[in-house]
Amino acid sequence: MPKKSKTHLPLRLNILFFLIFIMFAFLIVQLGIVQILHGEAAQKEIERTEDTTTANPVPRGKMYDRYGRLLVDNKPLYSITYTPPKNVQPSEKLDLAEKLAQYIDKNTDKVTEWDKKDYWVMQNREEAYSRLTPEEQELSSKEQYYAVIEKVTDEDIKEINENKQVLEILAIKRELDQAPALTPHIIKNQNISEKEYAVVAEHLSELPGINVSTDWEREKVYGETFANFIGGISDHGDGIPREKVDYYLSRQYSRNDRVGESFLEEEYETVLKGQKELIEHVTDQSGKLIDSEVVREGKQGKSLKLTVDIELQEKVDKIIREEMKKIIDKYPRNKYLKDGLVVMSDPKTGEILAISGQRYDHEKHEFTDQSYRVVYDAHRPGSAVKGATVLAGYDSGVINIGSSFYDAPIKISQTPEKSSYITLGHVNDLEAIAKSSNVYMFYVALRMGGDYTNYRYAQNVPSKVKDSDKTLLELRNYFKQFGLGVETGVDLPYEATGYKGDSPNPGLLMDYAIGQYDTFTALQLNQYVSTIANGGYRIQPHLVKGIYNSSSDNGLNSLYKSIEPKVLNQIEMDEKYINRVQEGFRRVFQHPNGTADHVFNSKSYNPAGKTGTAQNEIYAPNAKGEIEKVADVENLTLVGYAPYDDPEVAFSVIVPNVGLESGDGINLQIGSRILDAYFDLKEERQKNGISINNEQENNEND
Amino acid sequence: MQKDHKRFNIDYILISIIIILAIISVLSLYTVQDYLTTNSPVLFYKQQIKWYIIGAIVTASVLILDYDRFRAIAWYLYGFGLLFVAGLYFLPFSIELGGARGWYQIPGLGVTVQPAEFMKIFLLIAVAHLITSHNEKRKEPRFVDDVWLLAKIAMLTIPAVILVAMQPDLGSAVVMLCIVGFLILVSGIRWRILLAIAGIVAAIIGAFVGIYLLFPDFVHDYLNDTVFGHVFTRLEAWFDPQQNAEQSGYQINKTLLAIGSGQLLGKGFMNIEVLGIPVRETDMIFSVIAEQAGFIGSSLVITLYFLLIYRIIHTALSCKDPFGSYLCTGVVGMITYQVIQNVGMSIKLLPISGLSLPFISYGGSSLIAYMIAIGLVLNVKSRIRTYMFDD
Repeated sequence: MPKKSKTHLPLRLNILFFLIFIMFAFLIVQLGIVQILHGEAAQKEIERTEDTTTANPVPRGKMYDRYGRLLVDNKPLYSITYTPPKNVQPSEKLDLAEKLAQYIDKNTDKVTEWDKKDYWVMQNREEAYSRLTPEEQELSSKEQYYAVIEKVTDEDIKEINENKQVLEILAIKRELDQAPALTPHIIKNQNISEKEYAVVAEHLSELPGINVSTDWEREKVYGETFANFIGGISDHGDGIPREKVDYYLSRQYSRNDRVGESFLEEEYETVLKGQKELIEHVTDQSGKLIDSEVVREGKQGKSLKLTVDIELQEKVDKIIREEMKKIIDKYPRNKYLKDGLVVMSDPKTGEILAISGQRYDHEKHEFTDQSYRVVYDAHRPGSAVKGATVLAGYDSGVINIGSSFYDAPIKISQTPEKSSYITLGHVNDLEAIAKSSNVYMFYVALRMGGDYTNYRYAQNVPSKVKDSDKTLLELRNYFKQFGLGVETGVDLPYEATGYKGDSPNPGLLMDYAIGQYDTFTALQLNQYVSTIANGGYRIQPHLVKGIYNSSSDNGLNSLYKSIEPKVLNQIEMDEKYINRVQEGFRRVFQHPNGTADHVFNSKSYNPAGKTGTAQNEIYAPNAKGEIEKVADVENLTLVGYAPYDDPEVAFSVIVPNVGLESGDGINLQIGSRILDAYFDLKEERQKNGISINNEQENNEND
Repeated sequence: MQKDHKRFNIDYILISIIIILAIISVLSLYTVQDYLTTNSPVLFYKQQIKWYIIGAIVTASVLILDYDRFRAIAWYLYGFGLLFVAGLYFLPFSIELGGARGWYQIPGLGVTVQPAEFMKIFLLIAVAHLITSHNEKRKEPRFVDDVWLLAKIAMLTIPAVILVAMQPDLGSAVVMLCIVGFLILVSGIRWRILLAIAGIVAAIIGAFVGIYLLFPDFVHDYLNDTVFGHVFTRLEAWFDPQQNAEQSGYQINKTLLAIGSGQLLGKGFMNIEVLGIPVRETDMIFSVIAEQAGFIGSSLVITLYFLLIYRIIHTALSCKDPFGSYLCTGVVGMITYQVIQNVGMSIKLLPISGLSLPFISYGGSSLIAYMIAIGLVLNVKSRIRTYMFDD
């Protein structure tokens, strides 16, 4: 072998070896960078776990009536959810669906032809792909799959169609497929039986990603009765109301939380809500669950004991409907009579015993419970407010106990003639109330404005009232002390305070004095009469008597917080004046002169009160769309309390827009029947105890 | 000068290195079995033991013939190999796996054969033979002789590389180029020519990279459907694995986490934390070693490869017969490229390409091809004639 030809070899091999050495050196250096320099970071990245906190809802607090009868219950709603990890394979989902199908029933209506074909291909992969033509085999795997699906015949899926079990699997798989990674998706949440729930819960370990949870639905035990005031809660779709997002978010609510949206549910949201159970789930990089820990125990929402006597409430609802129906049937022209509003309360504590508004639909000829109108709708009360007018007169010094006026029509220039319903002649303060003298009240109002004219002899002269604005303000301030024209403070998120008329003149001032000007709600009237009944204390009306810790059963647990009566203000007037008006009220009900004596004088419970009739007009758009007056109507009202000497129940009744001469004293009928109902119930309970629907013993009665 | 015919040199060091690599391979496959992304019923470590036994037999049978005799059948082997690579497009039993048409399925055995792996060896032998013959005929090669040699090598290499690249199996195609490149380097061709070629290759690669960086839209629109589309996806993942995390970047990110978290000392045997790395039993096997054995262990493995290459170069150097040296050089090219590429892609030094780690990755065809290559080196070593008075 010639030496020369070989001499280059060792040199070049050495060069090669040197190059290889350099390359390997690079490898080692880069390996050092990856493992030593960035190693710690990589390890951290691996150990980086993700903490996700889920909040499990707790049952909302329940509501009971004043005797512990369950009004609002929670009905459990079970749901089965699927939270897929990342990169889950279709075959794994099929496995899961097969297992789940053993435990739950699933409606198969949504299963599509495609689902069935896809399933058949999964089951018969080789056969399915063997149907492809050589050209189709050249296609991409996705296109091949579509071609394969197309080649599945009806014959192939016939068996699937007949097999209910398989269809269920497909229905479940369909749901599983829709679940986005790491987000819980509801597989089934309707009609889950307790058995399904329990079986799935038991097998959770073999069902990766599947979870069971419970949510609650509010159930109003007494149906429509009092339902308005219980209010509603939002559903998961709506979550917290948009206008209060910041309020709730700052209180650790999440956006899809269900919150009270109206009335008591809203007012007592914070106590009813309870505290959600917080569970922290720790997952690693691959989405595998490492640990779950309860970071905060859940607390069931507190329960409310309401002031309402649901038995009385039911009776009141019924009485209003019966009385309204009676006169609607009797006087068909009563087509504007739609509502009957009643509030009954304990005048010493402000506890509302029954609160009812019934609406009649003249087209459908049926009643609906629209009790919220008691707080939302204001009406002219008529003479019912005369107690406040007289007290204003005493306190401002324009009349005194026993002051009398001559009741005859008054004609002030530029003002329509004003009178009582008949000319009453000489009336003193008590008679003025009992006989419901308008003229007496006019004199009080005019005198408060500085007009001491005796209009019996002065016809068609201008009024000497100097400043109607100021006088109206003064009169309104007196009325406000009784709750007329201000918020009553009831424990509801909203209440109306009524409409206040403007641009007063002496005529309107006189109208105000007899309840013909501003409008008030039935609840305001109730507060007004309660204030007179209890001797001058304006007490906040309330619907919740106490907040109780929740219990697992249907009864009330221990008292958490009792809602005490709250005096908003005390009438500034002398006690003797109030006693005088009380006596006037008694005479209305129990004196031959009294406007309501014919209904109440036979009652054993010693009632007192004041009737009211306010003129009202109905306006409606005519054919041309112009608003015009279509009818003259009356608001029939009644306020009262009993027993006169030691009042335990106060009430207000408003029946707006009754046809003229077609009311048949519906206000008196409702008023007497609700008082009867109250005292009948009381008597019956003294004999037989309180009938409580739910089984639990309850010692909270008082 | 007296020949010692009786002496049959066995390179025990080389054999020991291979045995150590075999042990590492089987242990790695054993530990990674439970962490694979596919639920394969195959127990890879057991299969690999089987392949090693078959490989050992193949190595022994390569030793039967004096390597000199391979020169006589070099052309037949080359032709046979080319036929089988080309035959993937028309012969029966050829199948497509993972989008590449690169395998024959032997009916009944359930075994797949990857002809490209064997083509590497056949090309190596053919080119080594070609260079030896060329140089034997020309004692004083002129410039034109060098160019002619290059042309002949190109004629041999290009059909094989193109056929393999078309499958597409760019990895194997580049391995072939690397084998041939190493052989050209040691073939004695003038440095001027070699440098010129190196310059041209660098310019072409530079142009491609330039086009890619300057006109990415053009690349996407016109090259994605060609064989290069595949290359660009890989390149993109390499440049920016975070951006491509959901697709190709996912694999490299996970692999880097696995290797990086091995840190200096590793997590210890049977301790694997990072899950979900695709093809971890083959292309990504290095991550298994690096995660468990750490920097120390994995750099020892790299060193072991270096020792192996050193040992083969040592054989090439001590062999007085150019053909033997060329064979060894070709094997060095084959192993070097695959080790650098495989480890390099695992640690983000190079873009991802589907290449196995020699002797360690699971895979029958590639292991047997490597065992043949080792057989060739042992063959060369065993027949080194030691001249008594040779220094």
